[in-house]
Amino acid sequence: MAIDVLNPKPPVFQRVAGMDQIPPHVPKELVHSAGITFGPDFLKAPHAFMAEMHGKYPPLYYDVSPYGNAWVAIKHEDALHILRNAEVFSNEGATPFPRDPDDYFYFIPQEIEPPMHRKYRNIVDQVFSPQGVLALESQMRVLANELIDDIIEKGECDFTESFARPFPVTIFLRLMGLPVEMTDTFVEWAVALLHSNERQIMADTLKTISVYLKGAIEEKKANPDDGVVSRIAHAQIDGRPMSDKEIFGFVAFLFIGGLDTVFATLNNIWLWLAQNPDRRAEMMAAPENINAQLEELLRVHSVTFSGRTVTRDFELRGVQLKAGDKITCILPACNFDPEVFPNPTVVDFHRPKKIVLAFTVGVHSCMGAHLARLEAKVAIQEWLKRIPEFSVKPGTEIVYRPGGVIGPHHLPLVW
Amino acid sequence: MGKVTYVAADGAATTVDVADGENVMRGALYNDVEGIIGECGGGLACATCHCYVDDAWAAQLGTPASKDEDELIDSASAERRATSRLSCQIVMDPAYDGLVVHMPETQY
Repeated sequence: MAIDVLNPKPPVFQRVAGMDQIPPHVPKELVHSAGITFGPDFLKAPHAFMAEMHGKYPPLYYDVSPYGNAWVAIKHEDALHILRNAEVFSNEGATPFPRDPDDYFYFIPQEIEPPMHRKYRNIVDQVFSPQGVLALESQMRVLANELIDDIIEKGECDFTESFARPFPVTIFLRLMGLPVEMTDTFVEWAVALLHSNERQIMADTLKTISVYLKGAIEEKKANPDDGVVSRIAHAQIDGRPMSDKEIFGFVAFLFIGGLDTVFATLNNIWLWLAQNPDRRAEMMAAPENINAQLEELLRVHSVTFSGRTVTRDFELRGVQLKAGDKITCILPACNFDPEVFPNPTVVDFHRPKKIVLAFTVGVHSCMGAHLARLEAKVAIQEWLKRIPEFSVKPGTEIVYRPGGVIGPHHLPLVW
Repeated sequence: MGKVTYVAADGAATTVDVADGENVMRGALYNDVEGIIGECGGGLACATCHCYVDDAWAAQLGTPASKDEDELIDSASAERRATSRLSCQIVMDPAYDGLVVHMPETQY
């Protein structure tokens, strides 16, 4: 769909939710309610649940939920097809955060399709490229060690609060040029937006975030610095300055994307590390293989999903999709597709290199992927150097957060 | 700075300047050369910047630089050939001025 970036309009397609809103073209036998992100079976062990979807559910089915009905794709091959075919599977309106229809804006570049999409990405790609993020590596190592200094003598910590949260969020806020001392407030906002599953709370939180970010943008316009918010506020596109809504939509999207995903990823990985001492030893014995180790850990601990809107009637895997239908690629399930990753639940650091869907694919592939990978790599290396032996505190029940970024609420560790 | 020529599957050639230290995938993206996608941004994670190094450059640049690159080329959509490379892994150097790469019909 052609959209006008200077005149943002809400999408015409409406969300549907619940059993009484199943469109007539959906075959009955393809209707399921898996309870992804909120059902008790899912929350008990989300990644095991998603691995087991192969065999339990058809490869492409229609998921009915009180939070929104959508086609669900769990095959690696289908995810590549859907996510790389932006003309049929559009990102417009795919971001689930409710916005004021009278003051609508696009999340940039997430909701913008090519060729405009590339122009926005060019503004920040240097910062987020593999080479760009390397500039942050030494300060990441310092920060990791400072956080470890604070806890190492205690012999225990809640990993989520002591490390997984402050580590990536501090790096991200410094990179953006936003105040690190507001970490707790920002995180509260992100959690309310991403994990409440309540549209009113989401809408209210988005308003709060908007007021703050608009102020921060004005401040950067007046006092430029070398942070990403300032870079966006002063960027030109097509030879013109960006509009206020473009700047806001761009900054807001990065802000939401940067606060919760690496956090959840680290929590998932550390839970696994804590429960698998022999595999930890295997990793430490082969430090030169860290990139492959990390990629494999990302494969089995992916935290998010990619939703799209079908723009025209389209047949996929013999199933008729209609314009306006929503479709969600369950990326963690795709990463357990046995056709691409044999023995998918086995963590194998010597798999042949394949496309892992941790950061999605297609033009909307995660721009923070290189930052995230480097953060996770540095965190693993520095932590294992200083706290090589650790385990989950005895008696702990791991409880997962509902919502669109998968990870445990708390992770108490002892060593 | 060196010249890189990107030859599309239909034979159309585009020559652009690519800075030393910059990779051949980015050279295409920054200059609106179609045919290279590079969706992961150069992270050796997607195989959508696949190219065939011209035979004249095969000796210097026709072989994957790492095991990861070699394996990931198998995930590319277009057929693998003797000089298949991921263009994000070809970093421009004065010695490569005049490099010619051929692009596959599709990256998806």
